[in-house]
Amino acid sequence: MKNPLNRRVFREIKENAGKYLGIFVILACIIFVGSAFMVTLSSADITLKNQENTRMTEDGNFELLQEMPEDAKKFFEENQILLEENFYVTENEFLEKAKVLVYNERETLNLYDIFEGEAPKNESEIILDRLFADNHDIKVGDSITLCGNRFQVSGLAAFADYTSLFKSNQDLVMDVQGFGVAMVSREGFERFDKSQITHHYSYRFEDRDLSDKEKKELAEDMQVSLVMNGCLLQNFLSADHNQCISFLKNDMGKDGPMMEVFLYILLVIIAFVFAVLTGNTIEKEATVIGTLRALGYTRAEMIWHYLRPTLLVTVVAAIVGNILGYTVMLEPFLSMYYSSYCLPPIAIQFSMRAFAITTIAPVVIMVIINVVLLYNKLVLSPLKFLRKDLKKGKQKKVVKLPDLSFMSRFRIRVILQNKICYLILFVGIYLSGLLLMFGVGLGPLLDHYVENIDQTLPYEYQYILKAPVEAGGGEKVKMYSMSTYSKQYDKDIEITLMGVEKNSSFFDYVPSAKEEEAVITEPMAKKLKLKAGDEITLKDSYFDKEYTFKITAVCDYDSTLGIFMEREVLNKLLGADAEDFNCLVSNEKLTIDEAYLAKYLTRSDIIGATGQLMDMFDTVLKVFSISSVVIYMILMYILTKTVIEKNALYISFMKVFGYNSKEAGSLYLHATGITVILSVLVCLPLQHLGFGALMDSITGMIEGYVPFYLPAWVYVFIAVVGIGAYFVINSFHVRKVQKIPMSDALKNRE
Amino acid sequence: MKLKINNVHKFYGEGESRVEVLRGIDCEIKDGEICVLLGPSGSGKSTLLNIIGGIETADEGCIDIGDDCTDDMNEKQLTLYRRNHLGFVFQFYNLIPNLTVKENIEVCAYLSDKPLEINDLLKTLGLYEHRDKLPSQLSGGQQQRCAIGRALVKNPSLLLCDEPTGALDYSTSKEILKLIEDINAKYHNTILIVTHNDAIKSMANRVLRMRDGKIVKNYENETPIHAADLEW
Repeated sequence: MKNPLNRRVFREIKENAGKYLGIFVILACIIFVGSAFMVTLSSADITLKNQENTRMTEDGNFELLQEMPEDAKKFFEENQILLEENFYVTENEFLEKAKVLVYNERETLNLYDIFEGEAPKNESEIILDRLFADNHDIKVGDSITLCGNRFQVSGLAAFADYTSLFKSNQDLVMDVQGFGVAMVSREGFERFDKSQITHHYSYRFEDRDLSDKEKKELAEDMQVSLVMNGCLLQNFLSADHNQCISFLKNDMGKDGPMMEVFLYILLVIIAFVFAVLTGNTIEKEATVIGTLRALGYTRAEMIWHYLRPTLLVTVVAAIVGNILGYTVMLEPFLSMYYSSYCLPPIAIQFSMRAFAITTIAPVVIMVIINVVLLYNKLVLSPLKFLRKDLKKGKQKKVVKLPDLSFMSRFRIRVILQNKICYLILFVGIYLSGLLLMFGVGLGPLLDHYVENIDQTLPYEYQYILKAPVEAGGGEKVKMYSMSTYSKQYDKDIEITLMGVEKNSSFFDYVPSAKEEEAVITEPMAKKLKLKAGDEITLKDSYFDKEYTFKITAVCDYDSTLGIFMEREVLNKLLGADAEDFNCLVSNEKLTIDEAYLAKYLTRSDIIGATGQLMDMFDTVLKVFSISSVVIYMILMYILTKTVIEKNALYISFMKVFGYNSKEAGSLYLHATGITVILSVLVCLPLQHLGFGALMDSITGMIEGYVPFYLPAWVYVFIAVVGIGAYFVINSFHVRKVQKIPMSDALKNRE
Repeated sequence: MKLKINNVHKFYGEGESRVEVLRGIDCEIKDGEICVLLGPSGSGKSTLLNIIGGIETADEGCIDIGDDCTDDMNEKQLTLYRRNHLGFVFQFYNLIPNLTVKENIEVCAYLSDKPLEINDLLKTLGLYEHRDKLPSQLSGGQQQRCAIGRALVKNPSLLLCDEPTGALDYSTSKEILKLIEDINAKYHNTILIVTHNDAIKSMANRVLRMRDGKIVKNYENETPIHAADLEW
């Protein structure tokens, strides 16, 4: 015989359809977004790993001022290192403002996947990065001009060494509009002026089992060997430090755990909401439970019985969520990847991990939390249930209240009676508000960041030189990169050493005149939590040397994590000629022979790329904002409704005593209103702290530093949305309270 | 099945406020008897019923029912004891509001290996026409009939009724008592009825009267009358 109590499960859900539907919607949405995200993430990860092996992604690259002499190549042969002459020319003004690197045809390393069309077969054909082409509406068959040569686009491709389009490795964000890569055939590359060619080399270790230490040692030996062979080495970069290769891998590696934590937090809240609902049902059905227990039902049978609505809703939400995740939501997530990264076509694959996180984990979390709470509730004897005496242990002492008006004391009693409900509501308000803060606050935060860079950038043009060359109006700067280990972020942070003129007309802060002293930039001070008087040790990985500086001041220069000192002092420190420089800064455009020019940046290049970040996150931020309001509304509805239902009998009593509906309702509704408003307001500083911590962890992931900033209107907006959501929900409850009949109080009751 | 109550003591409270609510109850109820337990409020009759029912434990003494003894039974064993031997009927019915009459009875049939035939029982209870109704669609008397059916369906050897007519009017009360009498005749269960109503003793085979935690009277009623003939 089937247990007839089974039939109650559906009826219980039907009778409380509003509440269960609300939870189902939240749960299904969490699961469907989580599932789509995880599946896309894992499929993209597999695609990326496959690409690394099948398309022979480099382990590092470097640039030489001239072509590598044959003798230098011996090192690579002897050490079983594959080397590819990955030469390119740079077009800085494609469609007026975009930078495009046009590579020679690759043979061994950094191969590509063709999305559309075919590889260049003759000297006039070219393939373009698919994302860059899409962003400029370039199609296969179109003609484009690069470095003075006209080509026909024969295909759109994804290059293994450019999964993320960073214009410069120092950039904070990708620039999918302003930067792209292309490749021509060997014959096609012959068409470019030889003086324009950058001698870029890529290498890959044949032994794929080398440890990181072995790879690092080999790379260091490689640099020494190149220098010893008379090569003028520039920009040596391992794949791990090359953002174009490593950013996506790291980004995906960090997105996953962040999403998981976010999912688990939401699931735990939902589990507690379920527990509140079930707890409420148990209180309502105390005598029935007592009777069933007296008639011989075991505690385990009762726990199982009251667990089933939760379990059923969770399982159905997991199934529906997964189906929607694998069908409806995959496309937006895939297109989010495709619109941000240059990935080969992603083949969607079932992910056991995604299944475990989005299907098994919700069920397990719901079961554990609810079984513990149910056991705790049902541990009482049948007699206690029959007597509706659901207090455990000794009677709790009455909380003494100050001498307030009756109404105030009554409302405080209601709040104390429903403290668990209100506590969960508080946590829900906190998390929803945090989501909303992220959704609406990231825009102003990035605007503020860009504004700061704009305000503190003292020049309009920056020219990075391959070799020192003077130009009228340009002030000489020596730039050099070193790194410092950050314990907080457990990684090396790249620091730019800026050697500037003693009486600079651009940098108005006074650089230190001593070798061991330095002025650091504010972003560096904030990111590494340094202040004047502290010491910092920097490592020059090229020459394996360490330098310790005493910080004398912190300066306003927000575009980089950097150290300022006199140019002469920096050159002396590096053992270079006192007059050496490799950068010119100016407020006017300079005329410099392109043969000397490695990089050329305008003010808008430096600050403009940040705008891309907002474009990339636009959809996600909208989803965050909308979902936070939905979670606000549903949680408030469910939990405040529970308070009213719990007190329906007493509201009915109040009406019998002579209170009108409005007065009776206000006793309970105002208690909830006070709690919600207080929660919203108390949560604001906590959300501020939470968002600050979130930004701090994001700072660890990126190369630069984005200072935490939120304008006052964001806090006002969150408070207004939170309180506004409550008033909308309250209007439903007012109607519900009006409908509670007085006859409820007059019915026969134990 | 014979019910034997052996020197049962029960205390509430601690220290100075410790009260002995049952002061050594000894008695025996024969198999198939209808026993009425009378007494004023606070005399300890409900506590005794709860101890017999295994939903409260005695501080001293024990209950023997057939071959089982409640002495030293743990929570699990007590649940099994209730499941195998007992049926409960309460003053306020305690039916499950979102199950129909038939389903409410099935709730206990599920607990038994050999439950009574449900349709037959529904007819005995006079509820067959109402079997698909929810409790809220029934009168008080019908709800109590349903509660009795629920307790009876697993054919318990002992049916415990705690003020079964306490919430009912005169004629409905008589209907319920008549039903209890019929059931006893048909299924031969031992039935213990706790009540304030002195008149009900006339239908009992045995009468126990309690005062201040003790049984002050225990006698067999040689000439019980039918429930239909009761007057109060």
